[in-house]
Amino acid sequence: MEEKKKDWPPYAPGTHLRESDIRDKKITYTWWEPEVQYAWSLGPAMSKFLKGLKEGKIYGIHCKRCKRIITPPRMFCEYCYGPTEEWVDLPDTGIIETFSISYLDPDARRIEDPILVGVVDLDGTPPHHGFMHYFGEMTKDEIKIGMKVKAVWKPENEREGSITDIKYFKPYKGGGD
Amino acid sequence: MTFTEKQTDPTSEMHWLGDMQADYFYPNGIAGDKFFKHLKENDSFLATKCKKCSKVLFPARLYCEDCFTEIPGENWIEVPASGKIRLFTIAKLDAHGEKMKEPKIMALIDIEKTNGSILGVINSNDYEKDFSGVQVQAVLRPKANREGTLKDILYWE
Amino acid sequence: MKEVAVIGAGMTLFRRHLKETGKELSFLATKMAMEDAGIQKDDIDMVVMGSAPDAFDGIHMKGENLLDGAAATNKPYVRVFNGGGTGVFAPIAGWWHVASGVADVCLVVCEEKMGNCYPHPQTAFRHIWDPILDRPLNPNLVWLFAMEMNRYMTVHNIKKEDIALVSVKNKRNAVGHPSAQLADPNITVEDVLNSEVMAWPVQRLDISPPSDGAAALIFCNKDVVHKFTDDPIYVAGTGWSIDSTMWTNRDLYFPRYVAQAAKMAYKKAGILNPPKDIDFAEPYDPFDYKELHHMEGLLLCKKGEAPILTREGVTQRDGDLPICPSGGLLGVGNPIAATMGQKVCELYWQLAGKAGKRQIPGDPRVGVGQAWGDIMQMATVMVLRRG
Repeated sequence: MEEKKKDWPPYAPGTHLRESDIRDKKITYTWWEPEVQYAWSLGPAMSKFLKGLKEGKIYGIHCKRCKRIITPPRMFCEYCYGPTEEWVDLPDTGIIETFSISYLDPDARRIEDPILVGVVDLDGTPPHHGFMHYFGEMTKDEIKIGMKVKAVWKPENEREGSITDIKYFKPYKGGGD
Repeated sequence: MTFTEKQTDPTSEMHWLGDMQADYFYPNGIAGDKFFKHLKENDSFLATKCKKCSKVLFPARLYCEDCFTEIPGENWIEVPASGKIRLFTIAKLDAHGEKMKEPKIMALIDIEKTNGSILGVINSNDYEKDFSGVQVQAVLRPKANREGTLKDILYWE
Repeated sequence: MKEVAVIGAGMTLFRRHLKETGKELSFLATKMAMEDAGIQKDDIDMVVMGSAPDAFDGIHMKGENLLDGAAATNKPYVRVFNGGGTGVFAPIAGWWHVASGVADVCLVVCEEKMGNCYPHPQTAFRHIWDPILDRPLNPNLVWLFAMEMNRYMTVHNIKKEDIALVSVKNKRNAVGHPSAQLADPNITVEDVLNSEVMAWPVQRLDISPPSDGAAALIFCNKDVVHKFTDDPIYVAGTGWSIDSTMWTNRDLYFPRYVAQAAKMAYKKAGILNPPKDIDFAEPYDPFDYKELHHMEGLLLCKKGEAPILTREGVTQRDGDLPICPSGGLLGVGNPIAATMGQKVCELYWQLAGKAGKRQIPGDPRVGVGQAWGDIMQMATVMVLRRG
């Protein structure tokens, strides 16, 4: 058997299809629009968390073994794999852990006025613990990692028990930690 | 609530409703494109013959999966759009599990002159009949309306 | 445990849309790998298929759909998947099959048709997010990478110019790769910095494109490798690890799961000093900053040092530690699982001296490939060694 020191891959098999080939129907294809609906179970921890949001509260839960208060709350701690215990009422303030200035809207369409989104590291939890949300009442030049922020809630009668019961987090100058 | 708490209120668990929305475009492939383009212009099917094992593959394929060899252009053959029913069933529920107004007779049809078969709807109201072994012919859309998909075959009779 | 060698690899064209069906792509890649190894279908004992979510091809249980194109009819067959990590995890699964002794020759095929999800695979990516906590905010996947990139840049005070150098290097490296989708011999840092801002700090030329494509790899047992080659390339080490899905509860600036997977692989391979013992690397680069992030995760340099090495030219093909000599995902394309072609297949082609225009000068003997997947969670690492 001889050694094949040929260059590999020798060529790239495959047929390039351009958008225009698809648009102009130069090839035949089959089209399908699936309809799938879901009812995701929230589970006990998330149910209570969302109920809390409806009441204007942010809940965390305490893992005593790991000595950390976690939010979003869960029934068991994924580090020590033990049950979590004791619900904690967390303040609705924190600092910006990271952020992005998006010129794409949720449907990936371009927008002129960017959306500010990121992760809020909530007060009362260990560092780097929080959840994703929008930022508002600040410009793209003002937003910074480490900035103190506070939640802006929807009016009570508009809250539904969803993460969107908080409209966004705004800059917060007052109060100590 | 955690593993250590008792659940006493069964209505307290909520659900979050939503859907998974996406649309799909499936190019019919190298072999599939040739097959369906032929069907657009002709009232017959194309099949491919493996030169190694001599199986005639239907629907037409780029390669023989058993011998794992590519099938060259000259091994494409034309076959009639007809065959014998191997299996059939009377379907009463639709794809969503809802009762249909009229049952449909679905069959697996062995295409003649090939080793392959295809799923199809039989155009008949005779729900008592035993269709096994019955010879059927494909009824195609008028040529002007064919799009190059399986729907160009309206039904079999 | 048996020693395992790579004897052949294959890869198709990578493009935004390919005319072939998933089965046909798998066939083309497998045929090329079999040609490289000089084997027939009957020589293959078992087959592993790697393919990322069914939601891209749009065929539920697509592992079963693809198998006849992967020479797997009537053979023991399994499909593995962990998002982007599949590109190196599928070869790891192939390695298990042979190392355990259940197979002498195992074929690994990876295939992806992202173009089937119309009009853009973003639609399928939207379903990665948690339905309760994240989806009500209507997030775009680019936001997630932008947030990680921002954290990485801020913690180490890295400028965008240094990150853009990676995109330039990889798109230029891809010139001459037959499968390359986005090779560009003339691209500059200015081009990257002037490209459209998608979600700051991510710009259009920082991202690899979605693609259709397939790749294949053939492993065999050391006891039979003499039938195929005199100069075998061995699997020296494998490692894999996954971090929690709760990504908002971790600091994203350093991928600790990559370090865990790398340590596991290096231990097996006997690598004590990665920057010295490893000759070149193919870390996963779906975004330019990810190559730097993963270089640090792979312990090839200190935290925060990767952009400095890039700026100094150390990671060029003719540098001291070539990174992504294939052109990576940024240059060749990103059909999720089929990126095995640039990650593990490329290690094999480089070590066997078959990489043609992409060949690294000198005498590379040890290479490491890495893939990354899910929500900043999964790391899969494989080390190949010549002789």
